[in-house]
Amino acid sequence: MDHVLQVTELKKSFRGHLSIGVHHVLDGVNLSVPKGVIYGFLGPNGAGKTTTIKILAGLLFPDAGEARIFGRSSTDRSVRRRIGFLPETPYFYDYLKGAELLAFMGRLYGLSPSQLSRRVPELLETVGLKGQGKLQLRKYSKGMLQRIGLAQALIHDPELVILDEPMSGLDPIGRREIRDLILSLKEQGKTVFFSSHILADAEMLCDQVAILVKGRVVQEGILEVLLGSEVRFWDVTLRGLETFSPPSGCSVLTHRGGQVLVRVESEETLQTLLDKARAEGASVRSVMPHKASLEDLFMAQIPGGGT
Amino acid sequence: MTPVAITPRLTLVQVYAIAKNTFKEAVRSRIFYILLAFAVCLLLFSFVMGLLAIGSLRRVILDMGLSTIAYFSAATAIFIGIGLIYKEVERKTIYNVLSKPLSRSSFILGRYLGIMTVLLVNLVAMTLVLAGVLASVGAFTARIFPAVGYIYLELMILSAVALFFSSVSSPVVSAICTVAFYLIGHTSSSIPSFLVPLVQSEFAKRALLLLYHVLPDLNLLDINNLVVHDIATAPGFAVRGVTYTLLMVAVLLLASSLCFKRRDLV
Ligand SMILES: Nc1ncnc2c1ncn2[C@@H]1O[C@H](COP(=O)(O)OP(=O)(O)OP(=O)(O)O)[C@@H](O)[C@H]1O
Ligand SMILES: [Mg+2]
Repeated sequence: MDHVLQVTELKKSFRGHLSIGVHHVLDGVNLSVPKGVIYGFLGPNGAGKTTTIKILAGLLFPDAGEARIFGRSSTDRSVRRRIGFLPETPYFYDYLKGAELLAFMGRLYGLSPSQLSRRVPELLETVGLKGQGKLQLRKYSKGMLQRIGLAQALIHDPELVILDEPMSGLDPIGRREIRDLILSLKEQGKTVFFSSHILADAEMLCDQVAILVKGRVVQEGILEVLLGSEVRFWDVTLRGLETFSPPSGCSVLTHRGGQVLVRVESEETLQTLLDKARAEGASVRSVMPHKASLEDLFMAQIPGGGT
Repeated sequence: MTPVAITPRLTLVQVYAIAKNTFKEAVRSRIFYILLAFAVCLLLFSFVMGLLAIGSLRRVILDMGLSTIAYFSAATAIFIGIGLIYKEVERKTIYNVLSKPLSRSSFILGRYLGIMTVLLVNLVAMTLVLAGVLASVGAFTARIFPAVGYIYLELMILSAVALFFSSVSSPVVSAICTVAFYLIGHTSSSIPSFLVPLVQSEFAKRALLLLYHVLPDLNLLDINNLVVHDIATAPGFAVRGVTYTLLMVAVLLLASSLCFKRRDLV
């Protein structure tokens, strides 16, 4: 089997208030997630990420198309034995203690009490909640709930982990810990599918990404290929110039107190600019090449996102 | 860890886990104790009433005690029952549960068995108090046990009704419908006994009897009056009551499962 998760032409619409009007949320989503990768599912608010993920988790039923996980339909409950799922802003039974919740969730996966007595403390430690297992969930902070949510998603050591906004509600240290956790899952050969709009996290983690806009995937693929390795432009800082007329193909970003910041888009223009600057007696302070970032890619796909 | 196979045993484990969690939810909530404390106060109060009343002490305590138990356990059943499914969806706690390899029918069944356990504990506590009050005046009768047994059968039906409504509508609507069911269930038996002899036309008699047969009859499960007045139940009463209950519960749980099976959990 080449793909762990394969989504084809997935459609879902919701009826409006009082059944008036139909809101097409997913408009033919296609995705394929190979085994063993970290896959980022990105898109602006309201794009349909959570809706897609809820279909994968068997909580919603698609109107058309299908989601196949390990070759089986997402509506088949046997596939859920091999999936760990973290819902968006997890809600839990607040009368349970942390460890009780994990044990309860573990029982639903069929883990035995002896397996659980080993697994629960181990997981609490993994997600950074060591010693908090005896605290009632109503006393957990937002970040702690996010962590216990991750722990319950991993309790049965699943092959595929589906996380809806795993970093939300976490401080920078927490985000880093979760990043490390996701990377360690990959090292164990697991596949991680997560949604996010924190592009910096996604860029650091993902092998592959899909960008969802208004219920359609507008870009999908290996991150390096999508971003390309070419330099898109250079920012050159020159010093010691009172007046400066740049050669064509350059744009002056700022000119203040004898210091000029120029942006150049091609390598020939860069050479021309540097020659001209030196000829006019300027000193070159810095030449910064810029490659495309996930943010550029993301913004370019979104109407009104600008460049 | 290799994933466990989906076997009947796994289903049992899952249903048990859901039921246990439902039980924990109830016994860790304040409302459960408030209702129970209220009922216990009334039971103790029946003792005072018995002392003040003109008739037999035993009769007053039995009458008031059994009614208190019946009403309070029905109130508890409705109170918990109407939130059983709805609240889980509303609070989104259901996302964690149903994303597991658990069928939605198992979830419904587990919730039902959970509330029935809560009600059993509740009923046992109230019965012990009543038995104590009766014993303290030397009027203990073992017939309170079959009487609360029949109350439990009624609770089985009421909880299933509340659960059914909870799986399709909001708590307010569920509460109204379940209370309506309860009231109809306790008055429908007056159709054949009271209304039918009153009407003249043969057609109207038949129509009324037909109506009676489609309406629920919870008085089939009520022996409180017989116990209070020390009258024996008719032969076959128990078999009929148990069969009636099991059929009703089966139909209601099946209906809840079917309604819930393909529902989008938004
Ligand atoms: N139950 C529902 N009824 C009607 N509309 C819904 C429902 N659930 C979601 N939607 C709509 O579907 C669209 C997509 O929602 P979804 O939650 O999938 O977005 P998302 O990509 O996860 O966004 P975010 O990044 O904010 O979490 C939104 O416009 C939302 O209003
Ligand atoms: Mg979302």
